[in-house]
Amino acid sequence: MFLEIIDVFTSGLINGSVYALMAVGLTLVYGVTKAFNFAYGSFYNLGGYFAWVLLIPLGVIGGYFSVFFMAIPFFFIVGYLLEKVLISPLRKYDDWEMKVMMLTLGLSLFMDFGYQAIFGPRIKSLPGIIEGTVQVGEVVLFQQDIVIFILSLSGMLCFWWILNNTRTGMAVQAVAQNPAGAQIVGIPKDFIFAATFAISTMMVGFGGILLCQKNFVDPMGSTDIMIKAWVITAFGGMGSIRGSLYAAFILGMLEAFVGWYFGMIHVQIATLTLLLVTLAIRPRGLMGRE
Amino acid sequence: MSLKRMILTLCGFYCVMGIMPLFFGGTDYIMNILIMILIWAVVASCWDVIMGFAGIFSFGQVAFYVIGAYASAILSVSMDIPPVFSIIMAGVITGLVGVLVGLPCLRLAGPYVALVTFAVHMTLVPFLRGPLGRAIGSGGSQGILTIPPIKLFGLAFSSDQLVPFFYLTFFLTIICTLVLVLMIKSYWGTAFLALKDSENFAASLGISAFKYKLMVFALTSFITGLFGALYAHYVGMLSTKMLSMDVFTILMIMMVIGGIGKYPGVVVGAVITVTLSQLLAPLGMYRPLIMGAIVVVLVLFLRDGIISPIIRLLSPLQRVVVEEE
Repeated sequence: MFLEIIDVFTSGLINGSVYALMAVGLTLVYGVTKAFNFAYGSFYNLGGYFAWVLLIPLGVIGGYFSVFFMAIPFFFIVGYLLEKVLISPLRKYDDWEMKVMMLTLGLSLFMDFGYQAIFGPRIKSLPGIIEGTVQVGEVVLFQQDIVIFILSLSGMLCFWWILNNTRTGMAVQAVAQNPAGAQIVGIPKDFIFAATFAISTMMVGFGGILLCQKNFVDPMGSTDIMIKAWVITAFGGMGSIRGSLYAAFILGMLEAFVGWYFGMIHVQIATLTLLLVTLAIRPRGLMGRE
Repeated sequence: MSLKRMILTLCGFYCVMGIMPLFFGGTDYIMNILIMILIWAVVASCWDVIMGFAGIFSFGQVAFYVIGAYASAILSVSMDIPPVFSIIMAGVITGLVGVLVGLPCLRLAGPYVALVTFAVHMTLVPFLRGPLGRAIGSGGSQGILTIPPIKLFGLAFSSDQLVPFFYLTFFLTIICTLVLVLMIKSYWGTAFLALKDSENFAASLGISAFKYKLMVFALTSFITGLFGALYAHYVGMLSTKMLSMDVFTILMIMMVIGGIGKYPGVVVGAVITVTLSQLLAPLGMYRPLIMGAIVVVLVLFLRDGIISPIIRLLSPLQRVVVEEE
């Protein structure tokens, strides 16, 4: 019983760390650009397929090391183009928030069925990043889990560092606080919007590469991931990075324990109940700002 | 758009729809499309009233439609309630669910509403397929297969005879459309316009945003549930496939084509979208792919929907009609 709980706890911790990586990316986009990206889950799957194509059919040298190396420019360019081509033309309308939601929902449908058309409807499995187990006392841990945990944590620390120490990162923060003011002091707002989108796409792509090793690449699994990422962001408070960090770990644990105790089918219901109760008490989430 | 012009446009549309069975009464394929147009036109109108007029980012419209359908099916299959009553009860149940979702939800800021309503949509699938859904008779992942047809005054309205069913739907459609038009043009509708323009100013005039939003949420979910139930008794079987993103996107395309908040526009959107979706049906898996691409392209390039150019085209004609009165 005790060992089982430890197992469930680690699985919650690992899921939580990857969710945190993805939710931070999502909350960043909302906080800075106020755009609501409903295609987020499809980019998670893009990460999974990216890794699959490189590792299985192409058999790229260096394994996951080269996958990560190539993923950085790939997802940055995809995210940047997405914002420039699809989102920024909508900004001139009054009801652009609604239009962005609709457009990204359409995009998500297009991408999901695009994956099905290209790769077929069956799920794909990725090889583990590393094989083998570690034994600590009586608890057995997969090395893969430890590596995923470390990688997503270091991804987040890296992001934290970029946001607080580089000029671009500080410009992103400035735009989030006051877009008009940022423009007055000479920050290129449009570039920052696109860069933010690119960074968030990069984070969710990484999340996809990391988590698809454990959960398979499922062309229809994107809505599930998207809802999870959105629930975490809303639960933590939209635009609050710290809030989504806490929320990701809370929901990762909730998912693991509810799934273990009541069965996976109840996870979504439990998540939604938690979200509704939280929003009823705190309408802007755990750490949301006015 | 003025009330007169709105009613004239709608009258013209429904007159044309009403005489359609005279020409196509024998062709089941076209009759089926016509019935689906009537049903979707009302569901999409409700969504337009919520999104375009009340300004609530609700993404739960398909969920309410499915709740209505399942409620009526479960009531008539498991409890042997005649479909005429079960449809009305389904509408009431859906309205209540709408209030339940609306109570915590409508106090929130825009994007949160979208998220919570969409989460309700996503939660319905595991709920209906899981043990909880099976306990109330949703039939799990298999769905409900033997939903009885509507019987009224000894007449059976089923999918075998499409013309009578068409006129039943037509009758209900006109009533619901009238209710929606009256609502848009009543004190409520004006209150919504004021709330959308400036929520603070409207509040200072004593308009309670929450109260009106909740009321419109309840009314539109009632109508949506009613038509969901009608659909359930029309096709005779239900499954959780109705909750797929495919259906959601079709409803969204109607809105984008028709223009958000340009009320009768969405009805034209329904005609175009249902026909298009039926024509694309043989493409199978590629249909949602194309639908998704259509949404992206339409949102980018069709700014106010299709109704504004049409109105501009028809305005000389309408002016003549209005002046003659």
